[in-house]
Amino acid sequence: MAMRYMLSHAVTNWAERNPDHEAVRFSGQSLTYAELETRSNRLARILREHGLMRGERVGIFMNKGLESAVAIYGIMKAGGAYVPLDPFAPVGRIGFVIQDCGIRHLVTKEAKLSQVEEILNLTTGLEFLVGISEVESKPATCIPWEALDSVPSGALDLNLTEQDLAYILYTSGSTGTPKGIMHTHRSGLSFAEWGADTYDLQNDDRLSNHAPLHFDLSTFDIFSSSVAGATTVIIPEALTKFPANMASFIEDEKISVWYSVPFALIQLMQRGKMETRDLSHLRWVLFAGEVFPTKHLRQLMEMLPNVRFSNLYGPTETNVCTYYNLSGIPEDTDETIPIGKPCANVEDLIVDLDDHPVLPGEVGELLIRGGVVMKGYWGQPEKTAQGFFRRQSFGHFDDIFYRTGDLVQMDAEGNYRYLGRKDRQIKTRGYRVELDEIEVALLSHDGVQEAAAYPIPDGQGSNLIEASVILKPTFEIGDSDLVEHLSRRLPPYAIPVRLDILDDFPRTSTGKINRRELQTRAAERMTQ
Amino acid sequence: MDRKTILMDYVKNEIMRNRNAKLNENEDLLSAGILDSLAILQLVAYIDETFGIQVPDEDVVYDNFKSISSLVSYLGQFK
Repeated sequence: MAMRYMLSHAVTNWAERNPDHEAVRFSGQSLTYAELETRSNRLARILREHGLMRGERVGIFMNKGLESAVAIYGIMKAGGAYVPLDPFAPVGRIGFVIQDCGIRHLVTKEAKLSQVEEILNLTTGLEFLVGISEVESKPATCIPWEALDSVPSGALDLNLTEQDLAYILYTSGSTGTPKGIMHTHRSGLSFAEWGADTYDLQNDDRLSNHAPLHFDLSTFDIFSSSVAGATTVIIPEALTKFPANMASFIEDEKISVWYSVPFALIQLMQRGKMETRDLSHLRWVLFAGEVFPTKHLRQLMEMLPNVRFSNLYGPTETNVCTYYNLSGIPEDTDETIPIGKPCANVEDLIVDLDDHPVLPGEVGELLIRGGVVMKGYWGQPEKTAQGFFRRQSFGHFDDIFYRTGDLVQMDAEGNYRYLGRKDRQIKTRGYRVELDEIEVALLSHDGVQEAAAYPIPDGQGSNLIEASVILKPTFEIGDSDLVEHLSRRLPPYAIPVRLDILDDFPRTSTGKINRRELQTRAAERMTQ
Repeated sequence: MDRKTILMDYVKNEIMRNRNAKLNENEDLLSAGILDSLAILQLVAYIDETFGIQVPDEDVVYDNFKSISSLVSYLGQFK
């Protein structure tokens, strides 16, 4: 087989070996490997014709569809890095990302026209729009999707390397603005190849794509599938919200490998009427992003006795770095399942607060080194430097580890167990949120004096977010004003489900806001 | 008030949390990102509370919850 060092090589290789096999499906339509190869070549040519340079960032802004795969591979083939923009995020936040990483080219769809017009007004630099035929707000070169048909379909010869940027995923940042996690073809491919190998993916496998593209789970669904020459079946965003639709999707599309956050699986189990469905093609259920509550997992495993289960762990900065394949769950304990052992080609190191390695079995921060680790944070060299730990070896080399910020402990079987965070980052329904970012957003309202955001366990292994504020004297605003303020700055999942306006906060002895006390009060109210 | 108005008010006030939001009865609540998993559960509970209609799990599907008008037309089978 031809050498494979770019993510797109997987598609090119399978287009030669198995051209008529389906690469991607969406709502009953599909693209074969040959079609995905030629359409992405055409998009790559269009982008180059319109000035895209090696290493440039290209936004993808649309609801999911077959074009998502064309966009991902077309951008990378043109030497660009794709930047998936959350189609449901407020335009202000999308505008920030576009500005932050200097996006000039956007791949989108006609259905997003009104938001694209707003974004054009908010930002400078956006010059080329693929997927839209006309805009009014500002001069921009528009290239409708149909234009692809008249472009030559041959591959470009660009002399790219595995060190080139492949994609940037933006996540919540503690300073109040999102930060861009940069992955190269090497780090993406390291993960994709590990996934294809570990779960023994074959041509006839059908992988679900449940996660949004800006969420790192999607890279397995798309890239591991391409590496194996299998089929990715993209679930329309709307259906992912309905458990009964998801259950029929798995049956109708003969899904063999499912990957999602635990929350989606719990919903599927509790409300999806799975027992009425033929799910016999399913052989792997993979989950990541959050802790799967053991009692729910046990129940799900009992409902799907012929399916294997695997817990994947890793911050977006490492794609995935440890995993744990389950072999039954003891009946007598609801102890949390481990995150397991490092993936192939990954080295683990556990250190204490002073960065000294701990003894096996002691608690410490997990550090990760290997092919899967990101290049750094876009435009933030200081943050990047803080994110890495350097271990000197042989006196004149540095081994570079990523600091996960996660506290872990090794158990007697050599598996890691996740204990918590070192900082104020939380997960809500699988999404990563910095509580500080919510507080900064609240404080940016003229009427807010002080703000506190805190997580409340939702009883399903995840968190809901609540917040309290103290208003400046003479300001009379309600919680709906604050929600409206936040909804222009934060993605929907980061908006607190409840916002209390208080006269004062509980304080610690040093006068700081006692967030723990606020959290306890809220949790007590929930259980009453 | 008819069901349509009641549901419109609920989606605006409690789900979008914005009394002045613009909402069209035919607008796709999912494509517009208005309904998420949590909001759908809230809406199902509200329908039970307000109209005494228990929507069975197998009917909580995209076709029935796509827009306010599809929801009203689905609920039409219940008196």
